[in-house]
Amino acid sequence: MMLGMATLTLSSSTAIVAANTQPNNNGNKLLGTRNQTLHMPLLSPPSCNLFLPLNKNSTRPFTTAVASVDSDQLSSSDPPSKSEANKYYFLVANAKFMLDEEEHFQEQLFERQRLFGERNIEQDFWLVIEPKFLDKFPDITKRLRRPAVALVSTNGPWITFMKLRLDRVLTESFVAESLEEALASNPTNLEFEKPEKWVAPYPKYEFGWWKPFLPFAQKEVKS
Amino acid sequence: MAAEMALVKPISKFSNTTPKFGTPRIGSYSKFSIIRMSTTTPTPPAAASTSAKPSKKGKTAIKETLLTPRFYTTDFDEMEMLFNTEINKNLNQDEFVALLQEFKTDYNQTHFVRNKEFKEAADKIDGPLRQIFVEFLERSCTAEFSGFLLYKELGRRLKKTNPVVAEIFSLMSRDEARHAGFLNKGLSDFNLALDLGFLTKARKYTFFKPKFIFYATYLSEKIGYWRYITIYRHLKQNPEYQCYPIFKYFENWCQDENRHGDFFSALMKAQPQFLNDWKAKLWARFFCLSVYVTMYLNDCQRTAFYEGIGLDTKEFDMHVIIETNRTTARIFPAVLDVENPEFKRKLDRMVEINEKLLAVGETDDIPLVKNLKRIPLVAALVSELLAAYLMPPIESGSVDLAEFEPQLVY
Repeated sequence: MMLGMATLTLSSSTAIVAANTQPNNNGNKLLGTRNQTLHMPLLSPPSCNLFLPLNKNSTRPFTTAVASVDSDQLSSSDPPSKSEANKYYFLVANAKFMLDEEEHFQEQLFERQRLFGERNIEQDFWLVIEPKFLDKFPDITKRLRRPAVALVSTNGPWITFMKLRLDRVLTESFVAESLEEALASNPTNLEFEKPEKWVAPYPKYEFGWWKPFLPFAQKEVKS
Repeated sequence: MAAEMALVKPISKFSNTTPKFGTPRIGSYSKFSIIRMSTTTPTPPAAASTSAKPSKKGKTAIKETLLTPRFYTTDFDEMEMLFNTEINKNLNQDEFVALLQEFKTDYNQTHFVRNKEFKEAADKIDGPLRQIFVEFLERSCTAEFSGFLLYKELGRRLKKTNPVVAEIFSLMSRDEARHAGFLNKGLSDFNLALDLGFLTKARKYTFFKPKFIFYATYLSEKIGYWRYITIYRHLKQNPEYQCYPIFKYFENWCQDENRHGDFFSALMKAQPQFLNDWKAKLWARFFCLSVYVTMYLNDCQRTAFYEGIGLDTKEFDMHVIIETNRTTARIFPAVLDVENPEFKRKLDRMVEINEKLLAVGETDDIPLVKNLKRIPLVAALVSELLAAYLMPPIESGSVDLAEFEPQLVY
């Protein structure tokens, strides 16, 4: 039996996947009204995709699988409570740590972006350089080297996971009226010194790799 | 090192084309023999191997040494106790719930799809490199498969006491099965296949108590990530060495390894008694040292593989060790000072001693004489290991637990 598991051919498993994603996509169109946050039941069967695409024109970021929220909202047409819908989770550390030293972090963000693209899910995570919301968190700012960079998402459990991965970061959450307000930032120039000795048998990821993850307004700022 | 896999057998329908494989193993490859744990298991007649040395009776053997990829088993009852949510009412489940979401997302659901490049590339690999490639695939497949077996069983055993943790284990076994299957498909490009069912029964299992499983598996997942990503990024930069397409899959692949490591991080954080005393620090250093040394000695016996893909073996290994150590410092309460040049000097001396040990095994001396010749070498190796272990360590740990946290500036 274990042999069977281990030698599972990929072609057959991908076929199953394809068969399962289609109905989900369609089903979601019915649920995906503007400003609605979908809370998927966390313990959905593996064949059921966690991430469902939302109407492209939606102005609200799409919230995926919030673990602590009851799943009956999935079928309910009531809009979710305001605080939940506008809740943003973040982790923050100095820019050098976030963008220059932790190269696996770059891989994770691109992996997630790829997945969202493949499954047609609206982006729900951003990098914010020197976010304005930090002013609300004096306990964080007094321990933070600047410039700082935050990873912000409407998906709380994902931020919990990213905190587990990065470890040397501080986390919090806040409520904001709009995406613009949540992701507002102060213009900042980033500069990283070249590492003293680079011994890896490959080059560093290029400066500026993070640009695709900045909220729209910040992309214009030359870093 | 003697990963003499008796289990690689030619696929019969291709067997006409297998004679290429008849090349004997290169001498330096086999028998790391300080503390040899050899289990001699007769294989079924069908599993006549091309790679293992057949004994006079025509039987082949699985030889396991300290450096062979391991199959682990553990105290499942203790595991159940550790993660029983009824007994441990304040077990922090947040990270597990977050991890479960991450594993369910299944980033690589459609990633492991082969194409015709594989077979074409494999056919072009010949000479000694071909043998080395096969061995690389065998060892990697065995390692992934051993993860599959352990995680699958843990997933099964913890289902009642902690369904969240159990499901994560099951989803990780999904990943490992996928990886092992993909590598085994790779072996088919070389007209071979690992008999994984037989492997399950015939391999010797190493028993580790849960806390040692956590340390060992955490390290092996994280070191796996760093090995794969380093090879991937190196080959991306130097595509002329891209001699087999499996490496192109490594970037997405190793994100799985990294996530698996994160899960063990969470398991340890949920059991801080495994992280916060002096014994934990000693064990943490011990596991770091054994994992790093094992890799270094193993890889230094296989420089042809790394050179074949354009890497300098020792530079590659040191990079992987340093990065793995930095990662590990996010959770282990102490790690080794691997960036101290003295650490590498010690590793290099161990390689020299190991080579001498291997040379003793290659001679025609009677076993008694061989063993006598080994004694001073083993003593020298042990003293190097001890000296490396006793080098001043670096205090480390997750900021969620570490004593130095209040002073930390982020």
